[in-house]
Amino acid sequence: MSESTTIPHPTKYPKIAIIGNPNVGKSTIFNQLTGLKQKIGNYPGVTVDKKVGWMDFSGHKYEIIDLPGTYSLYPNSEDEIIAHRVLNNLSQHGQPDFVLMVIDSCQLSRGLFLATQLIDMGLNLALVLNMADIAKRKNLSIKTFEIFKTLNVPILSTDARGEKGIDQIRDLIHQQNFSKQNTFLDIEEVVPADILNQVKEKFNLKSTYQAYQLLRFGTKDKAIPAADSAWLSQLVASHNFDMEAAQLEETSLRYQKINEIVEKTVVKSPTQKQEAGIDKILLHPVFGYFIFGAILLLIFQAIFAWASVPMDLIDGFFADLAGWVSNALLEGPLSSLITEGIIPGIGGVVIFIPQIAMLFGFLAILEDTGYMSRVVFLMDRWMRPFGLHGKSIVPLVSGVACAIPGVMAARNIGNWKEKIITIMVTPLMSCSARLPVYVILIGLVVPSETVLGFINLQAVALLGLYILGVVGVLFTAIILKKILKSDEKSFLMVELPTYRAPRWLDVLLTMYNKSKTFVLEAGKVILAISVILWVLASYGPPERMDQIRAESVVKLEQASPEQIAEVENETASLLLENSFIGIMGRAIEPVIKPLGYDWKIGIALITSFAAREVFVSTIATIYSIGSDTEDELTIREKLNQQVNPETGEKVYTTATAFSLMVFYAFAMQCMSTLAVVYRETKGWKWPLIQTAYMTVLAYVSAFIVYQILS
Amino acid sequence: MFITADTIPIFSSAIIREVTNSPLKINLMELGFLPGKVITLQHSAPMGGPMAFKLEETILALRKTEASLIQVEIL
Repeated sequence: MSESTTIPHPTKYPKIAIIGNPNVGKSTIFNQLTGLKQKIGNYPGVTVDKKVGWMDFSGHKYEIIDLPGTYSLYPNSEDEIIAHRVLNNLSQHGQPDFVLMVIDSCQLSRGLFLATQLIDMGLNLALVLNMADIAKRKNLSIKTFEIFKTLNVPILSTDARGEKGIDQIRDLIHQQNFSKQNTFLDIEEVVPADILNQVKEKFNLKSTYQAYQLLRFGTKDKAIPAADSAWLSQLVASHNFDMEAAQLEETSLRYQKINEIVEKTVVKSPTQKQEAGIDKILLHPVFGYFIFGAILLLIFQAIFAWASVPMDLIDGFFADLAGWVSNALLEGPLSSLITEGIIPGIGGVVIFIPQIAMLFGFLAILEDTGYMSRVVFLMDRWMRPFGLHGKSIVPLVSGVACAIPGVMAARNIGNWKEKIITIMVTPLMSCSARLPVYVILIGLVVPSETVLGFINLQAVALLGLYILGVVGVLFTAIILKKILKSDEKSFLMVELPTYRAPRWLDVLLTMYNKSKTFVLEAGKVILAISVILWVLASYGPPERMDQIRAESVVKLEQASPEQIAEVENETASLLLENSFIGIMGRAIEPVIKPLGYDWKIGIALITSFAAREVFVSTIATIYSIGSDTEDELTIREKLNQQVNPETGEKVYTTATAFSLMVFYAFAMQCMSTLAVVYRETKGWKWPLIQTAYMTVLAYVSAFIVYQILS
Repeated sequence: MFITADTIPIFSSAIIREVTNSPLKINLMELGFLPGKVITLQHSAPMGGPMAFKLEETILALRKTEASLIQVEIL
C-alpha cells in the first residue's frame, strides 16, 4: 500500500485510465483511441473484463485502460470494485499516471459526483464532456469555461460517436495536460482530522481523501493485507466512528456543491419530447412483449440461417486440412493423433466462431441502441419468482445459440445468488449443438406428416424439445432459489439510456474480441479432452487389437474390390468396440440399459461428453457407416436397421429415441461450457455441481420417458 | 405527509423530499434521486413490475421496493 511497496509498472509507457458512469461513451472513446491495438483479459481475482489498448501518437506510445462504468468510488458491484482498486492503487495493475473522466453532457451533476471524488483523490485528471451533440439536441448549453474555473481541471467537449474531439483527446494525452492536485470537498468536514491523519501517516498517503477511502473500504477489500485491515478496523472502533453516516453526509455535501456549479453553468431551454414516443411502443405492457418476441425470433432465424454458411465452410476446411495432413504425413500414431485428435479438436472449437460472433454482434447492437435495458425492465417481474433477475434474460436468450456467451453475459448481474442461478441454468437452454442430434433422432421416429393442414409433426417435436429446455431452466431455477442462501439484497436500478444508432466499429470490435477470448479460453480445454478421447478410442488392450488387425488383413486379401470398403468399415467398428472407450461403453451398459440404450450408444454418450454434436460422428463410426457422415439419410437408414441381437427388436424404437433426445436436452455434455463456468465462478465447485445435477436430471427424465413409451 | 414514489400515478410528477435511510440510500443518491429533484413516472411494467421515472434528462428504472424508499410530494 505505501509508496515503497507499490508494484512497478508492467510497461514503461504512460498509463491512462478512462473512467465514467455507465453509458457515457467511454468504450467509444477507448475504441477510437486504440482501434485494433487492444486486448481483453480478466482483472485478477474477479471476472470483469479488462480492456487494455495502446495509442500511438507522433512516435510515442501510451497504454490506455478502459475501466468498467461506475457511479462513484463507493463500490457496489464487481465492476465498481475494479475502478476503486485501480484508482486506489490496490490492483496489480499499478496506479494510472493519468485519469480521463468521461461525463455525459446531459447528466452533468451525476458525472461531476464521480469527477469531484477523483479530484479529491489527488489524481492527475482531465474531464471529457461527451455527447455534446445530444446535449445540443436537448437544448442544453454548458459553460465549460466556468466549470474549468471552478474545478481547475482541463475540460474538453466532444462528440465521440461523430469522432468530434477525438484528436483533441489525443493531443491532451500527448501533452499530458492533466490537472495537478487540488481539492473540491474537504473531507475533514465529515471525518475527524485525527483519524485521517493517522491513516495518512501509516500508509504514507498524500491525499486526505485517499486516506478516507482506505478507512471506508480497507476493512472489507480483500486486496488489502489482513494486518492493515485489522489496524483500520481497530482505528474505526476506537474512535466510535460511524462510517456509513459519514458516507451519507459526504454524498449530500458533495451534491450540494455540485448543484451550485450546475445551476451556474447549465442553461436549459425548453425541449420537445421525442424519446417518450418510441418507449410508448417498446415498453407497452402488451406490444412491448410482442416486439421483444419478434426480435428474438429474428435473431435466432439469422443465427441458424446465416451462421450455417461459414460454419459449413469451416467444417469443410478442417476436413480438408485433416485429409491433406494425413496424406503428407506417414501413416502412424502421430499422423492419427493430428488428423483424428488435434485437428477435429480445434475444428470443434473454431466452428462455433460464426455463431458466437454473430450472437455477440446482435447483443452488442441491442445493448448499444439502448434496447437491452428496456428488456431488463420488461422481464424483471417475470424472472423474479424463479430466483432470477431481469438481467438474467440476456444469458438465457444467448443460451439458445450457445451457452458459452450466455454464461459470460451473466457477469452483469450484481447479486451473487441470482448470478449463480443464471449460470447454473443457462446450459439447459437448447443450444445449437443439440440440433444435429435432435434432427437425426426426430427423423428416425417422428413421421413427416402434416396435421390440421399446416402443422408438421417433426417441427412440433423439435419445438417441444426447445420448450422442454425452458421448462428445465425454470424448474431448476426455482429449486436453486430454495436451496441457495444469501443475505445479499436483490435490487434493480437501471438507466434506460437514450436510443441511439449502433456504432458499427464498436460492434465489430466486440464480435472480434469476444470470439478471440472464447477460442483462447475454451479452446485449451476442449483440445485437451479431444486428445484424451482420441487416445481412448485409438488404443485398447494390445492382444485384442492386434488380433483384429491380423484378421482384417486376411479378410482384405480374400475380399473382392467392391467388398474392400465394407471390410475396412467393419474393422474400424471392431477396433472401436475393443478400444478403451469401447470397453468403457460396455462397462456402463448396465447403468444405461434402463434408459433403453445399448453399449454402442454408451460409447456415443461418453464421447459426446466433450460436445453434443460428437454423438452423430460417433454413432456413424460405430455403425460402420464409414467416413461419409454428411449424408443424414444413410445414418438414419443404418440406425433404423439396428437390431438387438438378444431380443431381435429394433434398437432405435420411439421410446429409445425420445429417451435419448431428453437425455441430450438436459445432460451437461459440453467441455467448453464447463471451462467457461470454471472461469466465471473462479473454481471447480460450481461446474462440478452443475455437471452432477444436470446428469441426474437427464438420467431421471430419460428413464421416465423410456419407461412410459416402451 | 409525504407519499412514497411507488404510489405515484402514471405520468404524474412529484418532488423528492427525502430518501429513507437504508443500505440502498447511497445507490439511489448516486443515481441522482436527491431531495429537491422532480421525478415523473413514465412507465410501469405490468403485474407490479419495475417503474421507470424521468429524472432530469434520464429515465431510471427501479423496482417498487426501491421506489418505496423515496419520499415525495405530488406536484
